[in-house]
Amino acid sequence: MVIETEALTKRYGAISALADCSLRVRPGEVFGLLGPNGAGKTTLLRLLLGFVRPTSGSALINGLDCVHRSLEVRRQVAYLPGEARLFRRMRGRDILRFFADMRPGGSRADSVRLAERLELDVSRRVSAMSTGMRQKLALAVTLSTAAPLLILDEPTSNLDPTVRGTVLELIGEVRRSGRTVLFSSHVLSEVEHVCDRVGILRAGQLVHTQVMSELRQRHRILASVRGPLPEAPALVNGPLSYEVDESGRVVMETPGALSPLLGWLSTLPLEQVQIEPLGLRAIYDRFHGSE
Amino acid sequence: MSRGRVRRMNRPLIRKYLSESQLLCLSSALVMFAFCWVRVWLVSLFPADRFRTILEQFRDFERFFPVPFEQMFTYPGRIALTYDEFIVVMCVAVWSIGRGSDCVSGELGRGTMEMLLAQPVSRVKLLFTHATVTAAGTALLALASWLGIYAGIHTTRVEQPVAQPMPQPVWPFPMPGSGMVNQLLEHQGPRVPMSDKVDAAVFWPAAANLFAFGFFLTGLSSLASSCDRYRWRTIGVVSAIYVIQLIVKIVGLASDRHAWMQNTTFFSAYAPERFVSVAVHTPQETWSLIQAGEQGHGFMLGPLGCDVLLIGLGLIAYLGAAVIFARRDLPAPV
Repeated sequence: MVIETEALTKRYGAISALADCSLRVRPGEVFGLLGPNGAGKTTLLRLLLGFVRPTSGSALINGLDCVHRSLEVRRQVAYLPGEARLFRRMRGRDILRFFADMRPGGSRADSVRLAERLELDVSRRVSAMSTGMRQKLALAVTLSTAAPLLILDEPTSNLDPTVRGTVLELIGEVRRSGRTVLFSSHVLSEVEHVCDRVGILRAGQLVHTQVMSELRQRHRILASVRGPLPEAPALVNGPLSYEVDESGRVVMETPGALSPLLGWLSTLPLEQVQIEPLGLRAIYDRFHGSE
Repeated sequence: MSRGRVRRMNRPLIRKYLSESQLLCLSSALVMFAFCWVRVWLVSLFPADRFRTILEQFRDFERFFPVPFEQMFTYPGRIALTYDEFIVVMCVAVWSIGRGSDCVSGELGRGTMEMLLAQPVSRVKLLFTHATVTAAGTALLALASWLGIYAGIHTTRVEQPVAQPMPQPVWPFPMPGSGMVNQLLEHQGPRVPMSDKVDAAVFWPAAANLFAFGFFLTGLSSLASSCDRYRWRTIGVVSAIYVIQLIVKIVGLASDRHAWMQNTTFFSAYAPERFVSVAVHTPQETWSLIQAGEQGHGFMLGPLGCDVLLIGLGLIAYLGAAVIFARRDLPAPV
């Protein structure tokens, strides 16, 4: 495992920022963290970086303890904070140079190339950059490293749609190079697009982990049926769940692929049927629907 | 600089800290150099023996002066007072508190600490590198003060004293435009280079003491900075300590009953005029750790002893800062 946390907990007095979080991220995986503000996403990331000490539990990155071997951990991690602040008096190119020099094996040329790809003017001082430009600069710093693990806290915030697309492409390239990404975001479509697995946090607890390839197979079937619903066939991934909504429609969620159900569906006395991919929103709403 | 030492620091961090501090450092050094030069020139305007007339008016307040008045009737003694001038002490204090307060709470307040510590650099190395750059700046300021005095001594001329009756103390104090001041400024003897009368080398202990004072203040500021997340609050805390310690020193000097308080203030270890006096009168003790107390009773810290004390306290403060900074949770940027 690249990341392994065991009952990781962080409390600030009576407030529990993260509670008993046990998480495993495999090499080469893009793992998304989802949750509303205050759910504990950033706390988890900051614990992994050694910025804060856990109240209890443990966190390992590539087998290294995040508290006691923080320096070695950070050699293997490139981190983009949620609100990256850079040295205001420096110019963009000086920032790229500084961070490339800080990291053994860091490449100024790579970071400059990446900045160009993000269409960033590196001759400007940071103090004269817009929020989006600063975010691009921080992205160029972080994504240009050769670190085996990238931890990105809301990497696309403050970016225009075109650059958002570029950033998602870059994350895809990181994955193809065999590196691992831990990625926190509020934008479900982005997480759905790039992640292999997603963890959903609620009030400091990891309440659900979703494999995206399984989710992409799952569908929601909304059907108006005349008469009682006959028993569904046994499915490999589990039973077909269903409920009747306010309008009397049957809402079914497939536990896996849709194809084994198609034959059964054709036998039903259907008045109307609608089939759609289940999507991350449906999973997310199960835990945060009322928020 | 050896390769090992650079490894203990960090080249990009050194460059960063240098670029952040160079404006303050160079402007302060320039002010120190120019002020010390001008201060020596001002001393040259008032012949040493006639300066006695003014100073005798304040004989009752001699206890507040760091050295006996007799020391201040000499050129080295009056030049040494430069190190007690507001501008000199303030330049070093502003540099030391300004830079020391920046190392942790400054970066935290600006929100730049996260990106910095996301890199493979330990917190202790960060602090050590910052301390090294700041100490180098403090040394530069102390050197600038000495160079200013050196330049002043080698570019001014003073009146050669001629035998004349001792002027009587007068009251009221001579004001600008009064005949007394004109009398003081009148040249009554041949003028000789000040370097004939004053050896600039006697001011090295004073410059070293200024460096030690600045080093201690930087350590104290770094300690306060390591506990805090707002630089303005760090500066406030250290400034408050500075003022309280100054008041303690004044109270300790003011009454014999409270003389013990002088042992509780770091200002007691900042005595550049005394060290110049030592260098002039007992050169063999210029760099002594301890020396005989006043009127031969007991012992007191010598010039080097005071420097070691200040630097030692500064190092303890740095050690405390390193321990606190290495263990604390970093607050998220606001």
